[in-house]
Amino acid sequence: MRTSMLRLPIASRSLIPAAITKGGAAATHNARTAATATAAASNLLEVFVDGKPIMVEPGTTVLQACETAGMQIPRFCYHERLSVAGNCRMCLVEIEKVPKPVAACAMPVMKGWNILTNSDKTRKAREGVMEFLLANHPLDCPICDQGGECDLQDQSMQFGSDRSRFTEGKRAVEDKNIGPLIKTIMTRCIQCTRCVRFASEIAGVEDLGTTGRGNDLQIGTYVEKMFMSELSGNVIDICPVGALTSKPYAFTARPWETRKTETIDVLDAVGSNIVVSTRGGEVMRILPRLNEDINEEWISDKTRFAYDGLKRQRLTQPMVKNESGQLVSTSWEDVLTRAAGALQGVEGNDVAAVVGGLVDAEALVSLKDLLNRLNSENLCTEEVFPMTGAGSDLRSNYLLNTGIAGIEEADLVLLVGTNPRYEAPLFNARIRKGWLHNELQVALVGKEVDLSYTYDHLGESAKILQEIASGNHPFSQVLAKAKHPVVVVGSSCLQREDGAAIMAAVSTIAQNARVSSGVDETWKVLNVLHRVASQVAALDLGYKPGVEAIRKNPPKVLFLLGADAGCITRQDLPKDSLIIYQGHHGDVGAPMADIILPGAAYTEKCGTYVNTEGRAQQTKVAVTPPGLAREDWKIIRAISELSGVTLPYDTIDEVRDRLAEVSPNLVRYDDVEEANYFKQANELSKAVNQAVLTEPLVPPQLTVRDFYMTDPISRASQTMAKCVKAVTEGAQAVDEPAIC
Amino acid sequence: MAEYANLVRRALGQLGGHGGLRGFLVQFFRANDIKTGTLIGVDKYGNRYYEDKKHYFFARHRWVIYTTEMNGKNTMWEVDGSMVPAEWHRWLHCMTEHPPTTHPPEPKKFLAETHQINVSGTPQQYVPYSTTRKKIHEWVPPKAGAQ
Amino acid sequence: MFLAAAVRSAASQAARQVRSLHRSAARAGAGGIFVHRDTPDNNPDIPFEFTEENKKRIDAIISMYPEGHKQAATIPVLDLAQRQHGWLPISAMNKVAEVLEVAPMRVYEVATFYTMFLRQPVGKYFIQICTTTPCMLCNSDSILEAIQNKLGIKVGETTPDKMFTLIEVECLGACVNAPMVQINDNYYEDLTPKDIEDIIDELKAGKIPPPGPRNGRFSCEPAGGLTSLTEPPPGPGFGVRSDL
Repeated sequence: MRTSMLRLPIASRSLIPAAITKGGAAATHNARTAATATAAASNLLEVFVDGKPIMVEPGTTVLQACETAGMQIPRFCYHERLSVAGNCRMCLVEIEKVPKPVAACAMPVMKGWNILTNSDKTRKAREGVMEFLLANHPLDCPICDQGGECDLQDQSMQFGSDRSRFTEGKRAVEDKNIGPLIKTIMTRCIQCTRCVRFASEIAGVEDLGTTGRGNDLQIGTYVEKMFMSELSGNVIDICPVGALTSKPYAFTARPWETRKTETIDVLDAVGSNIVVSTRGGEVMRILPRLNEDINEEWISDKTRFAYDGLKRQRLTQPMVKNESGQLVSTSWEDVLTRAAGALQGVEGNDVAAVVGGLVDAEALVSLKDLLNRLNSENLCTEEVFPMTGAGSDLRSNYLLNTGIAGIEEADLVLLVGTNPRYEAPLFNARIRKGWLHNELQVALVGKEVDLSYTYDHLGESAKILQEIASGNHPFSQVLAKAKHPVVVVGSSCLQREDGAAIMAAVSTIAQNARVSSGVDETWKVLNVLHRVASQVAALDLGYKPGVEAIRKNPPKVLFLLGADAGCITRQDLPKDSLIIYQGHHGDVGAPMADIILPGAAYTEKCGTYVNTEGRAQQTKVAVTPPGLAREDWKIIRAISELSGVTLPYDTIDEVRDRLAEVSPNLVRYDDVEEANYFKQANELSKAVNQAVLTEPLVPPQLTVRDFYMTDPISRASQTMAKCVKAVTEGAQAVDEPAIC
Repeated sequence: MAEYANLVRRALGQLGGHGGLRGFLVQFFRANDIKTGTLIGVDKYGNRYYEDKKHYFFARHRWVIYTTEMNGKNTMWEVDGSMVPAEWHRWLHCMTEHPPTTHPPEPKKFLAETHQINVSGTPQQYVPYSTTRKKIHEWVPPKAGAQ
Repeated sequence: MFLAAAVRSAASQAARQVRSLHRSAARAGAGGIFVHRDTPDNNPDIPFEFTEENKKRIDAIISMYPEGHKQAATIPVLDLAQRQHGWLPISAMNKVAEVLEVAPMRVYEVATFYTMFLRQPVGKYFIQICTTTPCMLCNSDSILEAIQNKLGIKVGETTPDKMFTLIEVECLGACVNAPMVQINDNYYEDLTPKDIEDIIDELKAGKIPPPGPRNGRFSCEPAGGLTSLTEPPPGPGFGVRSDL
């Protein structure tokens, strides 16, 4: 469609609109001739918006041209990230010397057109369209969840008439049950088909469609079926009316009474930008925030709907184990003295720490400083990363170097042992975007999964990687021809014992592809796709990936900082060892602890997270931590003072100064630090044991069922539990009685 | 002259009428008053009821000296108006001229056998359950040895 | 008098409250509802398979479209499925989607759009009677009544022996031969109530009566004979100046 637009004849006639000549101002005339001169040089077209000349690319639509000129055209069906449907007719504008109003979203501009965005004819056309749209739209705004953020409401106020001539009854449409996340009130639907286009173009799940015709046209799945996509929640945002609304958010808050905090998401390693809406110290909902480099304007369902997990299973009070082994609530003084006392008595290898996937960089650096002051280097992350070879010494070795947006430019992606659809849904959406619009070819080594686009499945075994690396596999030739190749290795397949060998093979493949493609030095081939938000920051700060060291060398005091993956259990430690758990949810780590220090979740603290690209971003405080919970770095700072090794920072700024000392990229927010030592990393990787296991590469999240509950927050979420139930037993299993 | 003599006699009577210096002090600090009067009766809990219609105006003329132990609770210093049982309450508040000593109350089934002191402000007090939703559901640690 | 006023006001209030419910032609007859509900005779578990003959036809249909545009064959293949099965069950639509390698939803969209795709079971003979204005003026109501009396069914119903289904449709484009009915693929035109009864009798007897007008007309020529072009056409030189 885009190509056809580009191939439109570039008008050679120079139409000078009558209105302009009639306007007669010499200055305008001069400006226009000057503009025409540049147009000839750069192949741009000159059009006029309300008499104001602008230069646009050939193939630009009328609506885009008006947007360039700063005029907003009302629209319902048009969405800049979706294909053009042109069926709502709200964007009708008058164009001078064109007999009828045209749909601005679908009409490419012609040279010299004068677009009248506020003429009588335009206004009348909009009024007429609005009258038709409202003919069948129920006037239930007071009980509609979209009220206050409804395009139809806003635009009918701005462009609509104050009365209607329709006295007939309104059409009523049956509501559909498309899962536990999206509530449908189909009578409100104005058939813009944005959701249908989103489902088939962005989400890649062709479940939604239009059935029937004319007045009976309705949006739905035709058969009773759940809209099973990891991006399904976005149809709530793109729906211009209240037909698709959020089920968990239904009737809980109005947009004008919530406080919005712009923050980031930490439930996967993508670091989607989000807006947290809060009211009365409670998170009411989470919406996406535009960031072209990361999540565009979409977020995954886990990001959007797992927020109710922030209100359940929370650690709100410090706890200690009493004589009978029962955890009981106590005061901060008590736990801090106990924790500090335990740390005072130990040194070196007797103390160790394990950090989980949701920990911010401030807490990571303070914990590291604390343990370093106790002469211990036993700081581990739960996620494993092969340390032989280049390990985490070279930063480019563990980042998604191409960048999420960079995938759009690629022409060949090789995925190794990963299922990006559920490990990083927005990264997958980018791959799909490239696949759809940019002829991107995808190949996969690992378990065959549904990625929402087609790909070449090369096999499941890691042996294939070595064959590709040595050039013996047919795919090597394909790879050699690629102009912008990308290799993405999932962090889950590096958890295996042969992770280093896999990494070495992947590194060689990437290096060979780079050489054969002849791209310039700024293009990066090797990528690691992480699954948890804290991993990159932890590796940047010098944490050891994997708890193997602790298993081999069991400490007397173990500090778990949000470690809930269950990598280490009581059985791995000596009987008399003490476990301190600091975190925000009572999940896997808390029950085995002797001392529990309640920390803050990502909506409750100002913390630094580095996403899988190596982009540092910060969360903002949306609500206060519940009960007696406190920000994590402050707790560690307090313990340090009581154990006599006071950490030299008192404020978040001082902690960040310390972060900058260790790794300056951690405080360069929203920026990706260049990392480019692939050749050296590849050389180093050649030294490691190259033997790979014969087991197939199977990522842990295979189907949508595995997607919903992956971390303490989403495991505590009832919405996510309902999703799992709906996916396994069908949407009707969690059908709630309709309130409205 | 005689009225001054009466005054002195009354003063002496009030000073000495509580059982010596100790009794006087106890009376003074417990009741903030040292007035004496006719003992009309003692209820089964030990509260003593007095009357003096001659020297005090209406509403000050009947009073109670609370018992020091009631229903197992030490009421030496923590006294409460609700310690007065129902039958004495009506006499004490001048609803009737007839004390229960001379006119025993008719037995009613709603009258408690043992009078209960008001529990407001104590752990036994009634607290209405909350009708608002909890914003945060905290984690309840598993019972020790349950696994 | 006061009571009468109260009753009158209550009645007018009630009348104002009762809204006319919207019913389109599609809902009333041809289209049915636009969502699928599983029934014993129409659910995705009932297998549907094209006959070998039809598979060849599908290949021929698909070969008419360029490579990668199999979706273009949706309508003809759906029609084929309907002709094979008599109507279009959900499993047939799923099969079409499978054959054309598109999402089932894309096929449902097409099948629900066109009223000629019958998503509900119909009888062997599907009678569509036109009652749009020209037919109505030529007394199509009497034809409709005749069918209803003859078959003992109302509009939108099927006879218990699953032989006849009657629906009322809008203009079928044979106004010049009004009134008319369409039975399966055949048009029966210029009907009288007796004609339609004869047609139904013949169908019941297992014969297919010849389609076309029933009043002796060959086609759509004027009913009272030709009013123009009644003479043989003039030969060459007609109307040319005599001196040429």
